[in-house]
Order: sequence, then structure tokens, then C-alpha cells
Amino acid sequence: MSYKIPMGPYHPALEEPYKLDLICEGETVQDAKLHIGFNFRGIEHLAETRNHIQVIALMERVCGICSNIHTLTLCQAMEGLTGLTPPPRALYIRTIMAELERLHSHVLWAGIAAKLMGFKTMFMTCFELREKVMDVLQAISGNRVNYSMNRIGGVNRDIEDPQSILKMVEALETEMARTVIPIFTTSSTARSRCAGIGTLTNEKALSCGVVGPVARASGVPQDIRRAAPYAAYSEMQFDVPVQPDGDVRARLLVRALEIMESCKILRQALEKLPPGEIHTEGEKFQFITGTATSRVEAPRGEVMYSVSWKEGSRNPARVHVRTPTFAVMPAIRWMVMGQRLADTPLIQASIDPCYSCTDR
Amino acid sequence: MTPTMTPLEAISEKLKTTEPWVDTGGVHWLSPASLKVRELTKAMNELHARFVTITAYQLPGEQGFRLEYHWDLDGYLLGFPFLLAGNTIESIYDLCEAVDWIEREIHEGFDIDFSGREYEPLLLRQGDTPGVNLRDAVAAGKEKK
Repeated sequence: MSYKIPMGPYHPALEEPYKLDLICEGETVQDAKLHIGFNFRGIEHLAETRNHIQVIALMERVCGICSNIHTLTLCQAMEGLTGLTPPPRALYIRTIMAELERLHSHVLWAGIAAKLMGFKTMFMTCFELREKVMDVLQAISGNRVNYSMNRIGGVNRDIEDPQSILKMVEALETEMARTVIPIFTTSSTARSRCAGIGTLTNEKALSCGVVGPVARASGVPQDIRRAAPYAAYSEMQFDVPVQPDGDVRARLLVRALEIMESCKILRQALEKLPPGEIHTEGEKFQFITGTATSRVEAPRGEVMYSVSWKEGSRNPARVHVRTPTFAVMPAIRWMVMGQRLADTPLIQASIDPCYSCTDR
Repeated sequence: MTPTMTPLEAISEKLKTTEPWVDTGGVHWLSPASLKVRELTKAMNELHARFVTITAYQLPGEQGFRLEYHWDLDGYLLGFPFLLAGNTIESIYDLCEAVDWIEREIHEGFDIDFSGREYEPLLLRQGDTPGVNLRDAVAAGKEKK
């Protein structure tokens, strides 16, 4: 006899509200239905009532983890409508901020994954490390969550002493390589809890159109930083980690390896930070009528903004946001089918979902 | 797609169109007048393009809607606009699984009907009436006040 277990919208295993109706046969999940919208704030509609400065502050609040990525994508799109080109130093600073945000997001996720595995010491270690990443972000931007770094035509704050930030990044890299990476890549606890669990096959990953680390963990080598470089990524040397297995362990490995790649990019960007202005100084700009689209590789995968403007208008005519979790979350259904009920919290957490982004 | 072809040439060949691509605002646009959304989806599937999203625009007055379908092929962001005089367009859900949530979101936010599919369970407003134009609803609410 099958029965339905509603998980959420408010549940101890979920960080934010969403609902998973699990259809079970004994302890095995036969099917699942997902419901979102519990965080719906109508942000796309609100954006149409904000001017070009206010809309940046608004979009920074789409997500609490990848706030910088949202303003970066939005500013890139608005630059397409104003003809402003950020100076090289601003592009490097945008790259540095984006990679620090990826580090902080991946380490946060690693901590939560460790907690769900019953590995609480690792949870504390990850959160201690995340604090250090946030210290670096604070040293650059003055803020710990919403950094207010991006503006049309550049960034708001300079990195005045790249060498001191470089030292902080090197200390972080050493700590990651010593603690987090070995545990997630070699520990038998992580392996036994994650291997063969919540598999998303390569075929299903392609048909669902998943993005980011979830796609790369299912053997899809897709990364916007490589496929359509933005900011200063075309000048950076880095690898795109790909794993073929598609299970929770593969997602764990991809993110662990991406932490090291982020450190590699950060080192290069800080060492090569070009001199000069951080934004287009004193240049008057005007929006042209049209639509501009921008894509960025956020910690969870591709983010896309389409911004539409009418010349002479104070506010955008339309802002459409396609967040990575919106593309990835439907695949949870295929990941949990045939799995044990007890594994579903870890499986759904393995996509690193952001419900706030999804609902907007 | 032959090795010498660019992704854009391969799409034009697959769609049997000589219409020029327009590269603007970060997107490669193609809008042949006779193009049907289901034909387009089949061509994108054959070329192994990745579906990205649909962006819906409500046009002024009674002009209807514009839906922009986006795919990614080898890092090229592709855009295909479709104008809707009414509020109906064929669903591509049976051809492209990745379109499920965005079709449902647009249905619930703009009251656009993607014909040939069902919308259960509801995405954004479970238990409420499906398919309401939220923009019009907000505007109507303001008028009442």
C-alpha cells in the first residue's frame, strides 16, 4: 500500500519553506511532487517600480547567499542598454567578488551537507571557515551579506591592498586543502552516506536542463565562465571539475574541487589586478530602448537576467530573472524516486537549493 | 552539424531559413515569420541545445504578449520571439521536459495558456484559481483602492 508523506513547507530538514509530497511504498520513495512559491515576493514586478539605482538594491535581495551575483548579472545587462563598459580593474574586482561568493556558498553548503550526514564536527569546521571567507568579503566591501559592490559601469569599492587579501585567501586555501577537501573526497563516512544515493543520470540531467554543479556532477561539462566568459574570466586559468556518477557524492566532489579552483582564480586575479579606475567616472549615460540579457555562473549555476527599458523612462519596463535553482529543482523528483525515505533530506540538500531565488 | 559550421549556421540549416541572425543585447536572435514553436523545439533537440528559459512580456493595450524562448548552444545564447495576439500558444512540455516550471509560472503570472498540457499541481498559488494575470490583478486592486 502506498502512502503520502508531506515534507514541508516548514520542516526541520529544510532550511527554507518548500514542500515535497513523497509517495512511498514502505520505506521506498515511488514518486514526488514539488511545490514552491512560499517565498514569492513579486520581485520582478517590483523591479518595474524602481529606478536604475534602486533596482540594484532590490535585486541584491533576491538571494541572501549569492546577492553579489544578482547585482553583477543585472549591471551587466544594464550596461548593455547604456553602452557603458567597466574599466579592467572593475572587471577583476567583479571576478574576485564572484569567486569569494562561490567559496562562501560552497563552504556553507558543505557544512549543511555534513550536518545532514550526521557529521556535526565537520559542520562546525565548515562554518568556521565560512566566517573567514566572510571576513575577506567584509574587508573588501564593508559588508558581510549584501555587499553593494556592483554599479552600472563598474564597482563601488576598490581593493586597495590586494596583497593583504591574497594572504587571507592563501590561508583559506591551506585550511580548505587540510580539512574540508580530504574529508569530503576520501572519508569513508562521506562515501557510505553519499555514494549511489540520489542519482541523476547524464541523460536526465540533459533533458531536465539542469545547470551548475548538479549538471557537472552528472557529466555535463557546462560552465558559463568557460562557455561565455564575462568579467575577467577569459584571462583566468582554471579547470571545470566534472564527475560522471550523478549521485550525491559526485555533487560533493564537484563542489569540493570547485573550492580549490576558486582559490586558484582568486590568486590569479589578485596577483594580476590591473591599475586604474574602478568605474566609468563622471560619464553621463542614457538607457536606449530595447532588451539586454546577461548570464553569469553563480555558485549554484547559470543565472540569467533579461532587462527591458524604454528610452527616457525612469524604471525598467521588465526584468526577468532565471535563477539556477529554478532550473535544477524539478530534477529532485528523479533523484528521490526509488530511494530510501531517510535519504531524501540529504538528496534535496545535495542540489544546494535556494528557495528564495526560486520564488523571487 | 558539420564540423565547419557555426552553431548559428547549423540552426538556420535545420530550420531551413535564410533569415539573418541579429546579435543584440547579448542574444543571437532569429525570428522567421513562419516559425512554429514546436518545430523550433524539435530542431533544438536534434542539435542538443540546452533550454534556458522563456521570458514573457505583456504588450500595451490589447496587443497581447511576446514570448521569448531561449536556448544555449555551445555558449551561444539564442533567442526566438513569438507574438501572441491572444493568450494561447502550443506547449512544448512533451518535447522539452525542462520547460515545465517556466510554462507553469507564465501561465500563473500572465494567464497565458500553453495548450496541450495540464497544470497540476499548481506552482505559485496552490489552492487558488490557476491562470490569473497578476499584473492586471495588481492594477485592478490599485484602482479599487
